[in-house]
Amino acid sequence: MPQIFGMYMHAVMERAAAEAQAMGSKDIEAEHLLLAVAREPEATTRELLDSAGLDYQTIKDALQSEFEQSLGAAGISVTDRDMLRPRRSIRRPSDAGASAKLVLERGMAAVGDKKDLRPAHILLGLLELKAGTVPRALALAGVDRDELKARTRAALPRAGR
Amino acid sequence: MTGIEVPASPDPDERQDPGERLAAVVAMRRLADRMEDAAVEEAMRAGWSWSEVAEALGVTRQAVHKKHAKRLIAAGVRLRRRT
Repeated sequence: MPQIFGMYMHAVMERAAAEAQAMGSKDIEAEHLLLAVAREPEATTRELLDSAGLDYQTIKDALQSEFEQSLGAAGISVTDRDMLRPRRSIRRPSDAGASAKLVLERGMAAVGDKKDLRPAHILLGLLELKAGTVPRALALAGVDRDELKARTRAALPRAGR
Repeated sequence: MTGIEVPASPDPDERQDPGERLAAVVAMRRLADRMEDAAVEEAMRAGWSWSEVAEALGVTRQAVHKKHAKRLIAAGVRLRRRT
């Protein structure tokens, strides 16, 4: 199992780096991990996301809405839609930013032993974020974070909850 | 030119929670980065030098070069060689 988690983690980080690059980000952040998790065909995580009505495109749209709504909260209205579109960066980020590190830290805090790590722990880490882009985007997508968190915990082996 | 409108002062009756205000900061930084990318590209296409762009942004020539050169070259912008 640790090997399976390692492979999953590697795949997620690769996808997250690609998402970060496509969105013009300097580092891999929590929102890129969320998009990567949604793209990864891992059964448990996929089922959990499905149950909350989340797929890759829904998350992508919610992130864009969060960006526009946050600008709106500052009283900024952008009429040039092109300025709201992410610009791909030339370099693929390789480092995890502060928010992504927090996701991994919180997801892995649930296990005492690394061998108990499962792919759903990354989703759990994402759901453990209390402030910032990811929880705001999830709220905009109509997700009950606490409920999804409880279901994610229930889907994990007892030692990893 | 930028298509961005900012009100002179926020309405005091519409006090937001801190989370919303902090999210606005994050979003504005991202928007500022995108505006910088677009504006620097526009200036370089119009024949501005690195030094002129750096002076306009209030940063060093090295900083602006490091941040934008690769991207502009990849975008096919013809860059002035010196100054």
